[in-house]
Parts: sequence; C-alpha cells; structure tokens
Amino acid sequence: MDIEDDSPPINSKRSSPDLFFPVSDSEEEDVITASGALAGPSSSSVVAPPSTSTSSRAHGNAVQSQSQRTNGGTGEIEFFGSQNSDDIIPLDTMSNALAGPSKVKRPLSQSPPAVIPLEFEQGYLGEFVCEGWSLSKGKGYCSPGSKVIFERPKIKVDEPFPKGKEKLGGPARLVNGRVVGTQKKPIGGKQVTLGSMMSKKAPPPPKKTVGKPVIDSIIRFRNDRGFEVGRLSVQEAGFLTHLLDTGVIALSGHVIDCPQSLSTGSTILLNVRVYLARKAFEKVEKDGRREEGSFWQEQKETTEEEAMRKRKDALGALFSRIGVKPIHSNALLLAQKKNGAAEINETSLKHFTDSPKPKRSPSPSKGSNGSGVEKGKGKTSATNSDNEDEDEDSGDEAEKLDDQQMNEIDTIYRKAQQGDNRLEETNPPDTFLYTLRPYQKQALTWMSAREKGDESIRDNNNSLHPLWEEYAFRKEQTAGQPIEIEDDDDFVDPSRKFYWNPYSGELSLTFPTSNTRAKGGILADAMGMGKTCMMASLIHANMDSDISSTPPPTAEAEDELASKRPKFKQVTLSNQWRAIPTIPKAVNLPRGTLVVCPVSLASQWHDELGKMSEKGTITSFMWYGNDRADIERLLAQEGKKKVDVIITSYGTLASEYQKWNKNKDKPTYEGGSLYDHDFLRIVLDEAHNIKNRTALVSKACYELKGQRRWALTGTPIVNRLDDLYSLLHFLRLEPWGHYSFFRSFVTIPFLNQDPKALNVVQYILESCLLRREKTMRDKDGKLIVDLPPKHVEIQVLDFSRPERQIYKHLEDRAKRRFIQLDAEGRAMSNYTSILAMLMKLRQCVDHPLLVLGKLNEDDEIAEKLLDAETGDEKNNLKDLIALYAGGAKSTENEKEEVDHAFAAKVLKELGEQESTPICDICSNEMFDEVLLPCYHRCCQDCIVDWIGICEDQNKPALCPSCSKGPIKLSDLRSIQRKKKRVNPLNGLSLTENDQDKKDVVIGKVDLVQSTKLRALVRKLEQMRMEDPTVKTLVFSQFTSFLDLIETTLTREGVKWLRFDGSMSQAQRATTIEEFGKKIKEPLVLLISLKAGGVGLNLTMANHVFMMDTWWNEAIEQQAIDRVHRLGQNKPVYVTRYIIKGTVEKRIMKIQRSKTALVNASLSGGGSKDKGASLADIKKIFGLDEDDSEDEVY
Amino acid sequence: MSALPKRILKETERLMADSPPGISAAPKDDNLRHFDVTVTGPESSPYEGGIFKLELFLPEEYPMNPPKVRFLTKIYHPNIDKLGRICLDILKDKWSPALQIRTVLLSIQALLGAPNPDDPLANDVAQHWKENQSAAIEQAREWTRQFAQ
Repeated sequence: MDIEDDSPPINSKRSSPDLFFPVSDSEEEDVITASGALAGPSSSSVVAPPSTSTSSRAHGNAVQSQSQRTNGGTGEIEFFGSQNSDDIIPLDTMSNALAGPSKVKRPLSQSPPAVIPLEFEQGYLGEFVCEGWSLSKGKGYCSPGSKVIFERPKIKVDEPFPKGKEKLGGPARLVNGRVVGTQKKPIGGKQVTLGSMMSKKAPPPPKKTVGKPVIDSIIRFRNDRGFEVGRLSVQEAGFLTHLLDTGVIALSGHVIDCPQSLSTGSTILLNVRVYLARKAFEKVEKDGRREEGSFWQEQKETTEEEAMRKRKDALGALFSRIGVKPIHSNALLLAQKKNGAAEINETSLKHFTDSPKPKRSPSPSKGSNGSGVEKGKGKTSATNSDNEDEDEDSGDEAEKLDDQQMNEIDTIYRKAQQGDNRLEETNPPDTFLYTLRPYQKQALTWMSAREKGDESIRDNNNSLHPLWEEYAFRKEQTAGQPIEIEDDDDFVDPSRKFYWNPYSGELSLTFPTSNTRAKGGILADAMGMGKTCMMASLIHANMDSDISSTPPPTAEAEDELASKRPKFKQVTLSNQWRAIPTIPKAVNLPRGTLVVCPVSLASQWHDELGKMSEKGTITSFMWYGNDRADIERLLAQEGKKKVDVIITSYGTLASEYQKWNKNKDKPTYEGGSLYDHDFLRIVLDEAHNIKNRTALVSKACYELKGQRRWALTGTPIVNRLDDLYSLLHFLRLEPWGHYSFFRSFVTIPFLNQDPKALNVVQYILESCLLRREKTMRDKDGKLIVDLPPKHVEIQVLDFSRPERQIYKHLEDRAKRRFIQLDAEGRAMSNYTSILAMLMKLRQCVDHPLLVLGKLNEDDEIAEKLLDAETGDEKNNLKDLIALYAGGAKSTENEKEEVDHAFAAKVLKELGEQESTPICDICSNEMFDEVLLPCYHRCCQDCIVDWIGICEDQNKPALCPSCSKGPIKLSDLRSIQRKKKRVNPLNGLSLTENDQDKKDVVIGKVDLVQSTKLRALVRKLEQMRMEDPTVKTLVFSQFTSFLDLIETTLTREGVKWLRFDGSMSQAQRATTIEEFGKKIKEPLVLLISLKAGGVGLNLTMANHVFMMDTWWNEAIEQQAIDRVHRLGQNKPVYVTRYIIKGTVEKRIMKIQRSKTALVNASLSGGGSKDKGASLADIKKIFGLDEDDSEDEVY
Repeated sequence: MSALPKRILKETERLMADSPPGISAAPKDDNLRHFDVTVTGPESSPYEGGIFKLELFLPEEYPMNPPKVRFLTKIYHPNIDKLGRICLDILKDKWSPALQIRTVLLSIQALLGAPNPDDPLANDVAQHWKENQSAAIEQAREWTRQFAQ
C-alpha cells in the first residue's frame, strides 16, 4: 500500500495533535469507558479499509487498542477477526475521546523555530529488513513482493523494552516456539497464547494500570486486501510502536520472503520503510524561562516528558536500526557515542525506571507548591525560597561528588583545556601598565573574543546547536532493491536535511542554531595565576569605546531577553520610574564595569587596578558601606572624577538587592541602585561564592544587568556539579543556565551515574570556560608559570608534660561522654555538644589557655570536661590551671619577686658563659633555660618532665645533676638571655638599646607557652638569623590563639601585624599595606584562617606557619596559596605543627581520606549527614581503631 | 618505633669512639636502643681477669627512666642474682636523667669491685659473703674462671 497516495494532508492534520502523546492516567480511564461502549465483544474487530489514510489508520489503531484492552480484561474473546471486518467505528468519536483530555506538550529543551514547509508531508528516513510472524493460516495472504500495511492495536501490557538491535531469532524463537506449540488450537486459542505470553512478563491487571500507561509492542500487518497476515517481531515492533502511536513515523513495506502457504508462527521476511511524518516536526510549544519556583515541580517526570523520553529512545533505536547517521553532530554527542552511551534507550530507560523515584522523593510536596507559584507568575514568594533551601539540604548528599569523581573533574577541565596553549596572544593596550605573561595574553585573546561573541576562536566551526544532529532524508528506492547505504560525505540537498535532538527527542526541519547570547564566561585559572590581572587587562582592552564597534543590543534582543526572563522585565519597568532626569541620557548605553568580590579583596582590586592602569585611564570606585553613591550619577561623571570600575562586595550586593527588591515597584523609587544600571561588564571574583543557587547573594548576582558577564574562580566546581549551574545561570548561557535543563542533562544523569553527565559538563565548559593550571605547559613545552619551589614540612611536636595532662584529661572526659551518649543512642541529639567537646580538644592542642579561658563561660560542656569525677583529679587539674593562669598573670610583677642577691650571684656566673650550655637531660643546647635552686640548669621541658615523672613515681624530684632537692615547679627560675641580634651581612648588632648591659634576666618560669607556640618562636628566631627582614604568615583558626601568639611575640620583641574577621575593610587594607612595607626587621602577620584564607595576595612573605589543622585540606591549601602564587620569587616554606598523639593526628587522617565529614557538619555547622559524621567522630576519638602511639605522629 | 632522640645518638657515638677503660658497648643492628656490653672485672677483685657480658636496653622514656641492664655471664656476687639482675640504686630509685649509659656501666664495674652484702639481691650469696667472706671470694674467683674467661 502506498500511504502517500492515499492520505490527504488534511486528514493527517486533523488527527495529529491529539495523538501526539499518550494520554495521562485519568484520561486513559475515560477512553476505556468510551471504547468499552463502542467496542463490545462482538464488534471488536475493527479493520480500516485497505485504502486507509494516515489519519484513519491511526484512529483504527486507537480503536483496536481499546478493544484489545477490553479483551484483556475479559479474557479470551477473539478481537481480531480480520475476516469479517465490517464494523466501522465513527472516527470522530474516537478522536474526540482521545483529543479531549490530552495536554499541551512541554518541551525539555529549546526547539528551533519549527517552520515546516507547507508541501512537506513526510520524509523518507530509510528502510530495514525485519522478521514477522504469521498469524494466519493458508495460502494467498501474501507472496514475496506484495505490499503490506502496518497497524497498531493498543493494549495495556507491561513490555520490557526491546534491546535495540538484537539479532533476530534469539529470544524471538522461544516466543515463536510457544506460538507454534499452541498451533493446533483454534484461532481463539491463539489469542490466549498471546495473552499468556504477555502476562508472563506482567499480567495485565486492569486495576493496576494506575501508574504509567504501558504500551504493548504489537504491530500487525495486513495485506493490501485488508486481511491480517501477521505481526512484526517484538524486537522490531518495540521501538516502532510508540512512534506509530504518536504519529511520528509512517511505515510501509513489502514482503521479501514468505512460505507459500502460511501457518501460524511461520516467518515472513519483510522490508519496512520508515517515513518521518509531518507531525514529527510540528512545533512543540516552548515555555519561556521558567520561574525558579517551579524547579521542583519539574523534577517529577510529567506524562509529557515521559512521552518525549520514549519518543527520544524509540527514535534513537530506530535510527540505529536503519543505520541513519548524522551528517553533522557535535563533539559532545560523538564522544558519547564512543563511550557506548549511544544506546540511549537502554541507559536512559534505566535511569527513569530504577532510581529517580526514591531520590526525588523530597520533591512532590514542593511540586504542588511550585505549581501554585507558577500561577501567580513572577512572584517568588519567600516561603517558596525557604522550601527550596530545605529541599536542597535533603536532596544534596547524593549529588555530591565523591573522591573519584572529584578526580574526574580534572579530566573534565582537561577537555576544556585542549588546544588552549595554541591560543593567539593579544597584547593589552598601552594604558595597561603591567606586562602580561604569555598565557595571560592568551586569556586576553579568549576573553575579548568571548565578549565580542566570537566563538570561532575556540574552533567551533559548526554553529549547530550543541544538542542537535543533522540528518538527511534518503532518496527513496524502488521496492525490492537492496538497501543502499548513503555515503555521509555526499552532498546533501538542503531540502532533504532534517535535525534531531537526541536528548529531547525533538525533530526539526530547520537548522537549529546555537543561540548562546552570553558574552563572557568563566575564567577558572588555578589560584595565583593572576586572574585579577587578566581581567584588568580585559577592562583596558575592551573599554566603553568599543561599544560603538559592537552594536548595542537591539531592541529585539532586549525584548527577547525580557520575555525569556519575566523577572527582568520588571527591572526594565522600574527603570521607567526613574524618569526624574538626574542623569544625562547617554547612560542608556551600558557602560562601566562592576566587580563583585569578597570584602577582603575589595581594596586589593582597587589598588591593583590603580597600579596597573596609566593615570587617568581606568578609575575604580569602592562602592560599599556608607559610600554607596548613586550609581548612575557616579558613572556619569566625566573628566577627573570619571569612574570606570565599581567595586563592591557580595555582602553589599546582597543587601542592596534586598533593598532594591523591596522598593523597586514603589512609585517613589528613585533608582540609583546598582540594579538600575546596565553595566557593560560584570565580574564576579571568587565566583564560587554564588555556588548555592538559592542563596540570596546568588540571586542578587543573577539580577544584575550587564552586557558581559564574567565569573572568576579557581574552583568552579566545589562539591557538586550543580555548583556550576549557578555560574552558568549568572552568565545567562543558554540553554545550560536553565535549571530544568541543567538538571535534566547533568544532575539527573549524574545521580544515575551516567557518564553522560560528565560529558555534558565537559561540553559546556569547553564553550565557556578557560582554565590553566600552574603545572601546564605552553606550546613550547615550558611551564606557563614557574613559581619558586614550595617546601611543606610537617613538624610533629610532643606536648610538654602539663599540657599533656590537661589534654589527656579533657580527652578522657570527652571520650567518656561520647561513649556514654553513643551507648544511650543520644549522640545524634547531642551532636553540637559533641562538636563543642571536639573544639575544646582542638584548642587545647594549640594552647591550654584557650580551653581554660573558656571556664568562665557558662559552658556546660567545658564545665563538665573540667569537673573531674574523682576529687584528686579535680584538684590536680585545678592546680594545673592555677599554675598556668598564675604564670600568665605574674609576668607583670615577676621582677619584684626575684631575690636580688640570688639573681646577682647567678648572673655573674651566667655572664661568663659564652655559648648556650648543653642540657644534661636531653644533650641538646638548652631551650628555655631554667635555673634550679642548686644553680644547675636544664631545659625547661626536661626538668618539668622530670619533676612530673618523679611525682608519678611518688618520689622526691631531685636535681638530676647533684641530687639536691626536692625541686618544685615553683622553684624554677627562667633564664632569659637577650639574644645578640647580629646582622649576618655587616656584622652589626641589631639590638637597639645597647646601653642595657643586663643581658640576662631571671624570672619566674613561664609555663604558659604552649609547645606549638614555643616551636614557632624558636623557628622565628632561627629565621631571623638567616634573613633579618623575613616576612612570615602565621595562620590559626582560633583568633584567641592569635591573641596569645601576639602576647608572646611582643614579649620576644618580634614585630607582628594582625588580620582577622573582626577588622573593618579599611583596617584590613591598612594591615596588608603595612605588611608590604620594607622594614629592617622580621615581620609576622597573624591571620585567622577563615578571614584571610582566600584571595589575599601576600607574596611579600615566603614563610607560612599553619598552627593547627583544619578539617578541609583545600582551605589550608588556599591559605598557602596566598604566598605561593604569581609574584612570589623566593622559595616558599610551609611549616605545619602537629602535636603527637592528639586529635590533630586523626584530623589529618580524615583530611587525607577526605571523608564526608569534611563537607558536612563540622565545616559548615549544619549537619546534613549525621550518620557518616558520627562515624568520623568515633574515628577522632580513636574508638574505631586501636590508636597506637607508635605511629609517625 | 619513633626516631632515636638526639641524646641517645650522642651517647652512642661517644661510647663507640671513646669507651671507658674495661668497658665496651655497641648497639645491636636491629635495635639501636639495645646494647651489647662487656665489662672487665676490676683489678684486685675476685672478678679480675673476667670478661662479663651484659645487655642494656634503653626504654622509650629514657632518660627520664633508667636503662635496663642485666648480666648475661654467670657471676657470683651478692648484688647480682642468678638471672643476672643487678641491685644498684641508680638503676632504681636513685636514677637521674643526668646519668648516662657510660656512668651506669662504670657504676656496675665499681659494684664488682665493691660488693655490698648488706643490700643483697642473691640472698644465699650474700649470706655466704657475710659468714665466710674469703670462701665466698674464692667461689667468685672460681666462677669467674669458669664462666668469664
């Protein structure tokens, strides 16, 4: 039968929209009733006349399916009595029944403009040979060469999805054999057999069909006289059924070979031709950019999406069955096919059947919420965003990248890095004063190109939309000829081209262009590569003046932008309120660059921009705090006051956003906010600050208006792939900046561990991300950055005895309490208190006073920790505390307590000694020399240890050298020699007050110093000898520890500066400036890890001390990179202090194993996965392992 | 096993380079805290001419705790028992961290020259010493000849 001849276009049009997708559950019920009424058991045989048009065939199918379904329910009624086919069902009734409830389709992705030429009816896709089984007996049904007509019954039976290209004859034979086995039965029995065959997989219980509609895969074929001949094999029919049902394809075919006389189950070899029907290309309605509120709703697969998915899978299978190959595809898709992910149907089916349901379980309630929001369009209510937050929390863990995946991220970047070293180099304009390194010039090339929208720079020679593939219809062969494989390289008549999106299943006849309007991208060079510098050069290279050359966005483009983002339309509206002409009209042109950065970097940006720019070319303005001037007025200033770059912080932006959001719609709103200005360029520095898309600051960034958008970050993907989404959304990179899109193509596949997700990410990144690493080499094989070497030393120290006592006590208490809580099952509910205990331990490792100081607080845990059960212990500890605290306080009046006669005697003795004496106990030069009452001397540590051991053994502590005693701790006197500070270069003494002859001071022993602190002081002293102007960074996470370091350094006469979170922006800037000054003596900068860990450029120092361990090694790495970065020209020395046998060791272990704890509760404060964290806490307490002390540390 | 403290290294070095007369001590290859020691019997003592083997072990807490020393060679001495254990105050409660391996071994050598039966470890030997000193000394000589030469 020739479909083309017999099907008038009008008919096909009439029916098409209704059958495009399977109807949803409830609708299905309706249809059943309708069909039940229509197709009674006796009237069940419906066969359209041989001259069926496309449309009527489709209707016939529908009817048949209904009737068969009815039969399925009642059992064994023959429903396909092909011989007496005279019951014709009125077509209209059926189409109405189906048409009524069907929904408008929602697309997954952008569809290209769906223009279908009027004359287009269907396109010949290709043909394939397949096997069918006879369902009839006798001669004369068909013969080789005779045409057959395919048609579809419809039944609700679970059917495993066919396995694509499976060879004929495998399982098919079995099925076939079963049919053969029942051959002797009458025709009715045949139906039973079929039914039971189906029910083997899953019985068709009518009531159970509440879930997804399932479609069988039976395709029957008749001869051109209308007699049923047989059915297609399941393998072939599988992917065809859906397409036939939805009218995407049309089939025709003829018999190649068949037995002279048919018997049931005998094989008929068929040639099937496939046409893509007009309907396949019909425009699928496209939604605009969706409100965020509806994100969650989208996670649930709607009926439409499911239909689309099936269509996609089926088309994929069909294409591969026929052997249709794309003429053009993009690298991403090709890569996927290589990976074997081309078996789209299988993999994707697995996703959707296996996993998504439980994983998305948090969302349904939100879904309903979301739909409510959608009705009140344009209004993202506060409650809704709250929900999103919750949702994010609950759904998160699964999305996190595990270790291995984090490693794979490198691979992802690598893809984007291919060929980057061959980028051209662009010299910045002369107004830019710094000299760029070659790789920075390459970045400038790339960035300029991105701003001009020139994609070809990265060799994107086809501008086909990334997700689409180009195919061509074949020329139709005459029947009987062997299949001709067309050569892909042949010239293809454009009219025969068509396009397919293997992700969404959409088809198109028109060329889908890649419509990334986004100008800008992600500059993701590793830390310390000079991102700021590169961006500054871009600001210079593409100043406002360039605008004239690049046409300003047309009104049309603006419109489209606005329509895509309903929210932004309001922005434009609100601009109209600002009609009060405070500003000349010229500002309508986007101008100025907005830099958003963490507050600690604001002044650095300001300074560096100033230094890099020729005077009067680029002026920046720090816009924060109370200095928030009217932006428009600011940017409108000319001449000397001209402002080109506005620098603000994320925090300021967020509060500005809130303010603006509240006021923008009020008639009194006067504008002047950041949000009213259309910037030429927006730069987010440390852009991972907006990785959480629901955070206020992220929203604040999305809403900024700007032509070109840049995100600078060394870590575009921090924990999960979704981190990237927020950046893409900010960049307005279509289509990835669309959350549902990103989720469908990245997040969900990732959850299902589909390599596709990473491929997609690779593709995205390739287009918009530039990342170089310090270890990369240029085209000549040289390292692009050669930084001086970095030496990291882990110093494992041992507690002094009193320290260990206090620590041990705290640890035992904490352990005991934890075990108790754990045993009672209350560990979870006391999670925070456990963390508090851990905190105490970590502080105690730094300095016992940190913990003891907390005693005054109303801190239950601390109280409990220190409140020992046995009286002895209590006294002991309190004594020790008193000892420490006393030591701390008595530093003021220590000199008065010294017996002068005693001092004079010793001083005389000491004065004669030149070098530091050797300690009898440790055989080293004495460190913290102390004087015993017998005038013997020792290291402080050694003698304190000895006294302690003697106490333990209940014997008097005698002087090791002369056995006089007993000695008490309070008897010890410290000897402090003024160190002769000699400049190693000129030999001049650096000690300022030479008139101070008394170079040895005797004082009370100061036990306050912690082991770490003493090690630090010692090391600093050593460094001073080597380099008298050495600059050093000292990091700690506890500002209270920094306080103590301050005191000690002051006493030791070491100059220090301080940088922490409590300081204002101005103070921070001064501090950094001060630290950079050249002075004649060593300078130490004490930095709190959290405040100063990121962004700062402190290359003037080349020594770093990490006083304690943080949970996350990356944070520490960041801190080290403050120094080890571009501009550093000396070797960098990093020293990390660890105390033996404490929590620190175990934290280090956890750091290394990078367990969940790192991401979860401890670093963030929230507790997302307490189960895992609890296990980690056990680890920290050493409860899960035998924690032997003889490890390295 | 944690790294050897500087003090032990220094002591070992000095013992090897400049050992006191009549005393030699060398650490074992597999454990640098474990020493093979020989002490010659002091002149004009019943142990003269004998070469006595000892073992010496430096515990983890050394020098805060004393080393552990034991005679390997059989010796007839009131302050040394059958198992070779030594009764010496500086190895017990009179230990001081300022003492060293060298001083300990010298003390042991001195102990051979001046047995102290009033603070005995081997009671039968001490008894013998008190009751018939010359016989006891002769016995000690005999043992020295028998076991330490």
